[in-house]
Amino acid sequence: MSLLVGHSEHSSSSHTVATPSVLPIEQPRTAVIGGGKISEQHLRALRAIEGVQLTGICDLSPALAQFTAERFGVAAWYTDYRAMLETGDVDVVHVLTPPATHNRIVRDCLENGHHVIVEKPIALSNAGFRDLWEVAASKGLRLVENHNYRFNEPVQKLESAVAAGAIGAVEEVEARMVLNIREGGRYADENLPHPSHQLPAGVIHEFISHLTYLLLHFLPEDKRDHMDCVRAAWRNHGGGGLFKYDDLDARLMAGAVHGRIRFSCRQWPDSLAITVRGTDGMGSAELFHPSVSLVKRRAGGQHLTPLVNSLANAAMLTRSGFGSVWGKIRNRTPYEGLNRYLRLTYNAFQSGGEPIVGFMDMDRTTGLIDELLAPENQI
Amino acid sequence: MLEGVDGVIHLAATKGGDLYDQFGGTVIATENLLAAMREAGVPRIVVTSSFAIYEYLHRWSWGCLDEDSPLVCNPESRDEYCQTKLLQEQLVRAAAKENGWRCAVLRPGVIFGRDNLWNGRVGMQIAPRWWVRTGTFAPLPLTYVENCAEAIVKAAEFEGEQREIVLNVVDDETPSQRAYLNELRRHMPKRPRIIPIPWTAMRALARTASLVNSVFFRGTAKVPGLFVPARLHARCKPMRYPNTRIKETLGWEPRYTWREGIVRAMADTAGGESAHPNSSAVGVKPQNAP
Repeated sequence: MSLLVGHSEHSSSSHTVATPSVLPIEQPRTAVIGGGKISEQHLRALRAIEGVQLTGICDLSPALAQFTAERFGVAAWYTDYRAMLETGDVDVVHVLTPPATHNRIVRDCLENGHHVIVEKPIALSNAGFRDLWEVAASKGLRLVENHNYRFNEPVQKLESAVAAGAIGAVEEVEARMVLNIREGGRYADENLPHPSHQLPAGVIHEFISHLTYLLLHFLPEDKRDHMDCVRAAWRNHGGGGLFKYDDLDARLMAGAVHGRIRFSCRQWPDSLAITVRGTDGMGSAELFHPSVSLVKRRAGGQHLTPLVNSLANAAMLTRSGFGSVWGKIRNRTPYEGLNRYLRLTYNAFQSGGEPIVGFMDMDRTTGLIDELLAPENQI
Repeated sequence: MLEGVDGVIHLAATKGGDLYDQFGGTVIATENLLAAMREAGVPRIVVTSSFAIYEYLHRWSWGCLDEDSPLVCNPESRDEYCQTKLLQEQLVRAAAKENGWRCAVLRPGVIFGRDNLWNGRVGMQIAPRWWVRTGTFAPLPLTYVENCAEAIVKAAEFEGEQREIVLNVVDDETPSQRAYLNELRRHMPKRPRIIPIPWTAMRALARTASLVNSVFFRGTAKVPGLFVPARLHARCKPMRYPNTRIKETLGWEPRYTWREGIVRAMADTAGGESAHPNSSAVGVKPQNAP
């Protein structure tokens, strides 16, 4: 079976794929819908971008909306996002609400003439994404999904190493996330079930976009649209009725390149890692405890290469150990990539250029998630 | 759900998790409750607030902390619990005023009882048998859970002239940190070792950490709560805690002393058998626990 992610017939339709050209917005007026945990990260990042004006925050809870507005110096707070959109004081809207609400809210924002930055997953299916994209394209507006982890420092370092040919031609990519969320916390609360349990992939749907865009990003560009042998084992090892799935083991082929996505709610320690193996070495980036390791052919020849690699990785471990402690003191979190992602995205708004995450990135990501969930691909 | 209800006793809050977990479980849950009360026309509410919402940093040591004491000046300098409990109390009082409800705000000190004998005001458990005591002579504003429950019921039944009452809930005796920990330790078959750190030393450490943070990191460094002066003072500062007002207003008399409270908290409900005091009673697993 050969499955196509990205659907070339659609991709070739230039009026659909092309990011609409827009006039630069020198001082974007930005509003945020959703005052939850992720909004804190967006607002922190936005405050650091020159020229951005925070004009509104909306949440169903008046207390949370007001609290957030006061905390981050947002000009006004609302409990009805439509009222906020109609103030005429908004250029860009960040949609940071639960995934199931994205379609309605993003559509309303676009139809009201606002550019949209939306948390992952942008839509619950590739068709849903394309519908929204059509609206954005018809209105000449930007629509951008948050792919923040692509912009974390370890990922960027790994990307540079792979691009420089340090590990040769890419042969295998693995994206892995471990989040011990069954033990307790908001996702494990039986009395107040988290809305993400209702998503097609259950709670894993909250995180699958990260794994998917990271995997796709490290696949060779000419292979990203031609995947086959997609197989996904969605499991609920922990049982019970709350979690639909708590484990995913998915494999695919992109030409001769192997891809694997792993997600577990039951392991320890928490981790988000991307590992790339090539013809001349391997590289790995860990985002929760930031580090990058590289095993590659060294100048010392075949006898000294293992020794040099060991020394290099020992030095890396030492650096990352001290770096982790320093990061804790400096209050750095795995959301550091969000700052970079938003800065680059706003640079695009301010210059009228192309956003850093474009149609193909979002189309391939949502398309691959569809494939992973397709009943015929499940094992 | 609230149809036909005469009054609500609101004890719900989230103590764990990050700011947003606590905001959801404490503040948004309260908003939803108040909306339901409005809809059902419930005319009375009792809410348990907390001592956490008072100001400590800018108060004198050994000063009197009562209902007229100032509330926290800078909630962001304190922990999530303080921030969300303050908002919760403000929401309830505003809603009660707006709707003409009877409102009793009870601010308990440290509620202790079964499974909750340890508290942040006495120190830290660094291992099952190693305790750090942050302070020595500071009185603990304890209220045993059954005493506190009686106060809550009396507040719900209060029919005095005032539509709104705000009362601190503290038992008659406020033992020192040292006395409380020694008593707790006395009930344990294997007595933990206590490492005392004097209040003055803790205060000096926190002040130094704060200075370093402000000079070298412009206040952005993240340090443990005990090294943040506003949080340290809220947990360890020696103060006095009178309970005159609640006794006069409600006629409340704490039934059990704090020593009796510890004994009752450690007793098994079924047969009076002592719970393993090194285990869940103080929130520490025995060393050989799986």
